[in-house]
Amino acid sequence: MSNDAATAANATSTRITTSVTEGPDTEPPALGLGVSLPPADARAKTEGTFPYAADLWAEGLLWAAVLRSPHPHARILSVDTSAAVEMAGVRAVITHEDIPGERAYGRRIVDRPVFASDLVRHHGEPIAAVAADHPDTARLAAAAIAVEYEVLEPVTDPEKAFAAEPLHPDGNLIRHIPLRYGDPDVTGEVVVEGLYRIGRQDPAPIGAEAGLAVPRPDGGVEIYTASTDPHTDRDLAAACFGLEPERVKVVVTGVPGATGDREDPGFQLPLGLLALRTGCPVKLTATREESFLGHSHRHPTLLRYRHHADADGRLVKVEAQILLDAGAYAESSSESLAAAVAFACGPYVVPHAFIEGWAVRTNNPPSGHVRGEGAMQVCAAYEGQMDKLAAKLGIDPVELRLRNALATGDILPTGQTVTCPAPVSELLTSVRDFPLPALPKDAPEDDWLLPGGPEGAGEPGAVRRGVGYGLGMVHMLGAEGADEVSTATVRVHDGIATVICAAVETGQGFSTLARQVVQETLGIEEVHVASVDTDQPPAGPATHGRHTWVSAGAVERAAKMVRTQLLQPLAHKFGMSTELLQIADGKITSYDGVLSTTVTEAMDGKELWATAQCRPHPTEPLDESGQGDAFVGLAFCAIRAVVDVDIELGSVRVVEMAVAQDVGRVLNPSQLATRIEAGITQGIGAALTENLRTARGLIRHPDLTGYALPTALDAPEIRIVKLIEERDVVAPFGAKPASAVPVVTSPAAVAAAVRAATGRPINRLPIRPQAAVAAPNA
Amino acid sequence: MTTHAPQATQSVTLPASLDEAVAALGAMPAAVPVAGGTDLMSAVNKGLLRPSGLVGLGRISELRGWHYQDGHALLGAGLTHARMGRPDFAALIPALAASARAAGPPQIRNAGTLGGNIATAAPTGDALPVLAALEAELVIAGPGGARREIPVSHLLAGRDMLEPAELIGFVRVPLLHAPQVFLKATGRTGPGRATASVAIVLDPARRGVRCAVGAIAPMPLRPLEAERWIASLIDWDGERGLAPDALAAFGEYVAAACIPDQAPPADGGEAPPLPPAVLHLRRTVAALARRALGRALS
Repeated sequence: MSNDAATAANATSTRITTSVTEGPDTEPPALGLGVSLPPADARAKTEGTFPYAADLWAEGLLWAAVLRSPHPHARILSVDTSAAVEMAGVRAVITHEDIPGERAYGRRIVDRPVFASDLVRHHGEPIAAVAADHPDTARLAAAAIAVEYEVLEPVTDPEKAFAAEPLHPDGNLIRHIPLRYGDPDVTGEVVVEGLYRIGRQDPAPIGAEAGLAVPRPDGGVEIYTASTDPHTDRDLAAACFGLEPERVKVVVTGVPGATGDREDPGFQLPLGLLALRTGCPVKLTATREESFLGHSHRHPTLLRYRHHADADGRLVKVEAQILLDAGAYAESSSESLAAAVAFACGPYVVPHAFIEGWAVRTNNPPSGHVRGEGAMQVCAAYEGQMDKLAAKLGIDPVELRLRNALATGDILPTGQTVTCPAPVSELLTSVRDFPLPALPKDAPEDDWLLPGGPEGAGEPGAVRRGVGYGLGMVHMLGAEGADEVSTATVRVHDGIATVICAAVETGQGFSTLARQVVQETLGIEEVHVASVDTDQPPAGPATHGRHTWVSAGAVERAAKMVRTQLLQPLAHKFGMSTELLQIADGKITSYDGVLSTTVTEAMDGKELWATAQCRPHPTEPLDESGQGDAFVGLAFCAIRAVVDVDIELGSVRVVEMAVAQDVGRVLNPSQLATRIEAGITQGIGAALTENLRTARGLIRHPDLTGYALPTALDAPEIRIVKLIEERDVVAPFGAKPASAVPVVTSPAAVAAAVRAATGRPINRLPIRPQAAVAAPNA
Repeated sequence: MTTHAPQATQSVTLPASLDEAVAALGAMPAAVPVAGGTDLMSAVNKGLLRPSGLVGLGRISELRGWHYQDGHALLGAGLTHARMGRPDFAALIPALAASARAAGPPQIRNAGTLGGNIATAAPTGDALPVLAALEAELVIAGPGGARREIPVSHLLAGRDMLEPAELIGFVRVPLLHAPQVFLKATGRTGPGRATASVAIVLDPARRGVRCAVGAIAPMPLRPLEAERWIASLIDWDGERGLAPDALAAFGEYVAAACIPDQAPPADGGEAPPLPPAVLHLRRTVAALARRALGRALS
C-alpha cells in the first residue's frame, strides 16, 4: 500500500471514529484547521432531536395546501374557488388575484408566476393555495377548487422548442452562447463524433420540504424554512407581498442536506401570503410528490461532439453543440449554460474550439441549480469522446488523456488563463497507479456481491469487469461578474466565541469550518455558530462552494480583527508588535515565552466584536463569442471506476471508485472525505438509476420507488487515493471547495468503465440495461 | 399530531382469531383488513384511501405460522417476508424463501406478509410467480366458519374474487422435496422492484417442471408448452442435468411464449419488430429462465 493510500485510509478511519473521541477520558480534542472536528449538530441529527422545518409548531397554526396543475401546458379558462371557500374549517383561499405585490418571481430572472393566472407551463405549477384548520381540510379544499383548462399540446422536445410557439412572453430561447476560439478551418487527421444524452437528475433532498409563516404585529411576516439562500428568498417574498424587505424575515431552520436550490418558493410564497391574509401562523409540509413537482432538477442535456486530433492523439479542435432543457422558467439556466460551454472541452489543452450552447424553454419539469450544473453533463460527453478517440487511435485511454492534460498557465477555450493549481496529470496517474481491486476468480472464498444484488439473478460466468477513467473540472463561486461577497461577525466574551454569519449550513460543513477558523485564529476552544436569519448581513447562496471560500474567509478576517483588539493593549504593554504574541490553551505568550498572561485576564471582562467581509477578485461575463475571464477558481478531479456488468441482463454494479482530487488544502479530513464520498455516490445515481422520467411533460413516478436513489448496496468502495494540497493563493486558506467536482466526474468514469466491460458505446445517462448487454465473446 | 392524522375517528378492531376477523368485517362492511400495511398505508398516506375502519390481522397468531397437512404446507397469510426468508422455511419451500428475501428492504420484509402480497396482486409482487409455479391454493375464510379453496391463479386473474367479509386465511403449497429457484432482475444492486422474475419448481414425483414468469404482465405467466417440452428431456431417474444448449433453448422458449412476436398485419407481409425495450425484456426473461433451470438441475 502506498503512502497515499495509507493517508486515505487514515482519513476514512478518522471519520468513523470521530463520535468515539467525545468520551471523557480521551485526549483533549485537537483544535483549528486540518483536524477532523466533528459537526456540532451530529449528535442531535443522529438521535433525531434536531429540529427541522417540518417539526415546527406555533400556537393556533393553520395548515396550507397548494393546488397544482395536472397538465404540463394548458390555458386556464376559469378558476372557481367558491366550493373551497364554503368548506367548514377553511380560512382563506388565494389565487394570483390576491397577490398584493409582484406576481412573478425568479432567483435570477423574474419570469415565473407565483400562481399561474392564464397559462400553465409545467406539470405541478401552483394555481391556488388554501389555509385551513387541518391539513386534510386544506387538501380537500384545494381539490374542491374548480379549474377549467383548455389543454394545449406540450412542447417536450427541446430541439423543437426553437420553432415552437413561444411558451413565455420572453421567448423560448433563454440563452445562446456561440463560443469561438481559434481557427474554424483547422482539421485533424483523426475525427470522432458522438451524440450524448443526459437525463433529469433530481436533487431529492431526503428531509421533507416544509415551511412555517408567522405574521408579525407590525404587518410583516416571518418565514421559517430550510432556505439555502435566505436573503434572496426574503427579497422575493417581500416583492411578492408588497412589503419592504425589512418587514419580511426569513429564519433558516436546520437544513436536512441540500445539493442545489433546496426550497421551492412555489409554496413558501403562498405560505407568507396566507399568513398575512389570515393573521395566523400557517404551515405546510410538502409531500414527496409535491417536492418532485415543484423544485428544480438538473438540466437534461443533448450534446453533439466532434473531436479532431493528430495521429499522436493531440487534440486539434473540438466542435460541439449543447442543448439544455430548462423547463418552463429560466432559473439558473444561464449560469448552467455558461459552465457547460466553458468546460465543454474538459481539462484538456484544445487550440481551437467552436462550441454552441443553448438553453431553451419547454413544458418539462423546471431545471435549475444542482451541484456540478452544466459541467457534469459535458464531462460525460467529452470523456466519452476521449475514449472514442483512444479506441480509434489504438492509444491507451489514460495515455491519451495525459498527452492533452491541462496545467497551470494553459488557456481555456474562453480565453481565460488557468492561474490556479491544475495538477491534472498527477491526479490521473495517481488513480491509474493505485492497485486494482481483486477479481472474483482471484479471491473465490470472498462473498462476491454480483450485479443485481444479494438475492439477484447475477451469474459469475456472465459478469465482465471494466475499468474506466474520468477527468473532470468545475468552477468555484459564482461566475460571470456575480458579486460573491460574504459578511461575518465574530464576538468573544467570557472565553467563548460566537460566529454570526448568514451562510447556511447545508451539510457542506460551513459551521464546523467556521468553528475551526476561530479556534485557529484566536485559540479559543468553545466556539458557537449562531443560527441564520435575514436580520444578519447577507452571505449569499450556499452554492458553488462559496461558503468554504468567501464566508469562511470573512470569518477569518473578523477573527483576526478580534485578535488584534485583544492583543493590542498587551503588545503595547510588553513593548512588542501583536505578531510576536501567540494564543494557545487559553494563554497569551510572547514569542520567546518570557512574558505571558491568560486570555481571561487580557479580556478583562470586555466584549470584543468585529465584522468583516470577504470578496474574491472580480470576474467578467462571457462576451458574444464566449470569451472572458468568467471564473474565480477551478477544481479538478480524476476518478477510476471499476464495474462489474452482467452482460446478459445489462445490470451494472460499481465495485470501486478510486479518486484523486485537487483540494488546495485539507481543512477537515473527515468532512472532506464525507463530501467526496457523497459526491461520488450522487454521480453514480446519475450514471445508473436516477432519471426523473416524463411522458408528454407529466412526471411519471414522483416517488422514491420510481426514482431510484443509490442505496448502501449501490454505493461502491470509495478509495481516496490522493488529495493534492497545492494551495490556491487567491483562496482564503488556499483551500478549494470539494463537493461538486466528484459529482461532475463520477458519471463519466462509470460510463467509461461500462464501455470497457461491454464494448458498447455508452452515450446516454443514466445507462439503461439494454445499453449494457453484450455478446458473450465481446 | 401529524400532518397525516385522519380526521374522522376510525374504528380499529384487533381480532384474535380468523373467524373473529371475518365476523368483524361482516359487522362493518366498509372496514378494510390490514396486515403489514406496506401497501395499504402508503395509499392512505398519499390520500388515495381513507378507510372508515380497519381490521388489524396482526394479532391472529394462527395466521403467522404454518402447519402440515397431507404432503402440503398450510402457510398462514400473516407470515412475514422476513419469517419466510429464514433457513428453516427455505428448507421447505426454497423458491418462496428466495422471493421473500428479495422482496425489498428489511423494513418492508419485516412488515409485509404473504397474504398481503396476494391481496395487493401487484404485477411486481415477488411471491406471486412462485405461488403460480407451485400451483398454490388459497384457503378463503368466510362468515360462519365457512372455508373454500381456490387456486391462487384464479384470484390473480380475477376469475374468482373475494366476497365481502372474506379473508385469505392460508396458502396451501405442496412440499415437493426438490430444487426450486426464484430469480429476479432489477435495475440496481440495492433492493428494487422486479423488471422480470422467474420461478422454477421441479416436481420429480410427477416428472414435471413448472415455471412462472412475474412482473412482465398483470399476473404471473405460465409457459406450459415449454414446461412439458423440457420435462420430457430430463432424465428424472439419473443425473437430471441438461446440456447448455437445451437450457438456452428452454430460456428462449419461455421468453417467446411470454413475450410473443407482434402479429403480422392482416394483409400479409412482415410482422413489425418488437420495440428495443421489449426485446431487452424478452432477452432478460430468457436469461433468467435459463439460469434458473440450470441452477435447479445442477
